[in-house]
Amino acid sequence: MQDSRQIVLDRIRSSLKTSVLPMARASISPREAAPSSDYAAMSQSFQRDMETVGAKIHRPANDFAAVDLVVDLIQELGSNEILAWDDAELPLAGLPYALHKAGIRRADHRIPNDDIGRKQKLAALSALRVGLTGASAGLADTGSLAVISSPTRPRLASLLPMTHISLLPINRLYPTMAAFFAAHPGVMQDASNLVFISGPSRTADIEMTLTVGVHGPKYIHVVLCP
Amino acid sequence: MSNVTFYDRVEDALNNEQLKVALTRTTSKLGGLRINALASLPDADGVRDRARLIRAHTISKLADYLEQFAANVEKMGGHVHFADDAADANRIVLELAKQYDIKTVVKGKSMVSEEMHLNHEFEEMGITVWESDLGERIVQEAGEMPSHIIAPAIHYTREQAGDLLHDKLKIPLSHDPAVIVGHVREKLRQEFLVADMGITGVNFGVAETGTLALVENEGNGRLTSTVPRVHIALMGIERIVPTLDDLSIMLQVLARSATGQKLSVYTNLLTGPRRKSQTTGETDGPDALHVVIVDNGRSKVLGTELAEILYCIRCGACLNACPVYQQIGGHAYGSVYPGPVGAVLTPGLRGIGPWAELPHASSLCGACKEVCPVRIDIPRMLLKLREEGHEKGLAPAWVKMGLPMYRFVATQPALFKFVIKASGFGVRMLAKIQGNGGWLNKLPPPLSGWTEHRDFPPFAAKSFSEQFKNRK
Repeated sequence: MQDSRQIVLDRIRSSLKTSVLPMARASISPREAAPSSDYAAMSQSFQRDMETVGAKIHRPANDFAAVDLVVDLIQELGSNEILAWDDAELPLAGLPYALHKAGIRRADHRIPNDDIGRKQKLAALSALRVGLTGASAGLADTGSLAVISSPTRPRLASLLPMTHISLLPINRLYPTMAAFFAAHPGVMQDASNLVFISGPSRTADIEMTLTVGVHGPKYIHVVLCP
Repeated sequence: MSNVTFYDRVEDALNNEQLKVALTRTTSKLGGLRINALASLPDADGVRDRARLIRAHTISKLADYLEQFAANVEKMGGHVHFADDAADANRIVLELAKQYDIKTVVKGKSMVSEEMHLNHEFEEMGITVWESDLGERIVQEAGEMPSHIIAPAIHYTREQAGDLLHDKLKIPLSHDPAVIVGHVREKLRQEFLVADMGITGVNFGVAETGTLALVENEGNGRLTSTVPRVHIALMGIERIVPTLDDLSIMLQVLARSATGQKLSVYTNLLTGPRRKSQTTGETDGPDALHVVIVDNGRSKVLGTELAEILYCIRCGACLNACPVYQQIGGHAYGSVYPGPVGAVLTPGLRGIGPWAELPHASSLCGACKEVCPVRIDIPRMLLKLREEGHEKGLAPAWVKMGLPMYRFVATQPALFKFVIKASGFGVRMLAKIQGNGGWLNKLPPPLSGWTEHRDFPPFAAKSFSEQFKNRK
């Protein structure tokens, strides 16, 4: 398709010759996004910010307790089919077997290419009430989960269901977004989507009244895995 | 534009009691949230300074960064289109809709699409468009424009919103925001699942990776950019940051300034379409991603003394802080972008001609510059535009007549003394007669233009020069 790329770029270059741009010549000092290994402090800060916006944080004592907790959460919600990441992506080794034993199935998240099949599949996935994912990272200073897509990590698992359960190993906490980017330089190449999730879906569009559960999950459970 | 003037719209807004209530509730709340949120940031002033430097640096090398950004989007499998103006952008989007055989479109919030009047274009073509941001949907159903950059339906009370959505979306009637939102979720979910194309705006394009950053709270932006087969992202040419590290700085001030959050609920970073492969591609995400980079007057603004307005990151803080916006709301401006930023951007993008009044919709108090996360000197540019308007004979009548009269009086000391004494006396008399708590709500012509929408304080009993003399 023919477009106006050259016209626009040329006009920008010509305008820049007469531009009045305050501070444009000031130099920007380089900065180091310092990593941190103070996981106790980071998890505290992460938990405080997540809870402030209405997410629930669980801190099981060990992996066995974490597995039980996740199975219980799903059963309490009365779901026997969930929208989940693939086994290898869930950072709790015993979880797939425990889900299987509890009779909780994982929906096939592959979406057909044809239009009718595609829409039927999306409707079916949208009817599921629980989404189960891992998390690539947690940001301590804003209380955010970093969730990255891949063939085995569907985006929809943290998006369509009313409840999102996310498993976050404590050693994946970073003090800031900048520190996370610094530690994962190639992160944008490999995935179409990285989303930082900072609490349940919400709006304040009607009279600034905070209301949760608009289009994304209304309930967020973060399981901080030791 | 119709024959309704800026002053007519201001008059309407000032007489609208419901608007007054809605504006007071929202602007003061947003202003307070912003202050608290910035306080949670260690060295907020330092971060704002750095954010300003990043914007200044980026704009000063905009063409280079745009080329880098476009190349990286394409490298990751996306398509990039440049649009000269709104008509060009519409042509591109409509051609894509035809190419992909699109029947239905779901839209996230995009101010650029408002510049394009895109919904109207789609409707002409017989394509159904669903706005998915709650506030945008309210104004779409009402046939209005957004009245605030980040809170489009800021002028609606809960009763008005509930009635409208009940009527238009056929959802059960409620005036409780939580109940309304529950019904809207169910209704709009069906739209997300069947829409063929998703259209969103872009908060930042990251040059070094070709990533689109899209921040939002509802999840409608995520759904719009994930579920439909085709995702079209509309962005202004200036919406670029060089690196991911720069992005992290901008995000530290954007949500804090806009809604008082540390970070919006969803910070979506989108790099290319769904990764496809024969055997193990990503199972969801759009098959195709098109980024439309829209100029529409911006590169012209770049060559002028108004270029600094392109630093703007669209947080809306200047609207909430502005004493004029707080009184008249967004619609009175009559432009896509309201408030102090709109009063500079609109005449800049569209020419001063029809917009000469907007730079006067300010008391030059500086609140906008004070709250701006990137410290844009809006008052400086408002004055520049007033000057331009005056040179082109577009200044309001009271300025045109008042200023020469003032010059005549002020350049003759004896006459000046006399006029000050006489008008001081007159003004105090008038204030007594009008009985408006000491303030005047009407001055004689040509000053009557000034008092039409403002009250005037009476002069002190003794003038400055009299007091000065007595102190000697």
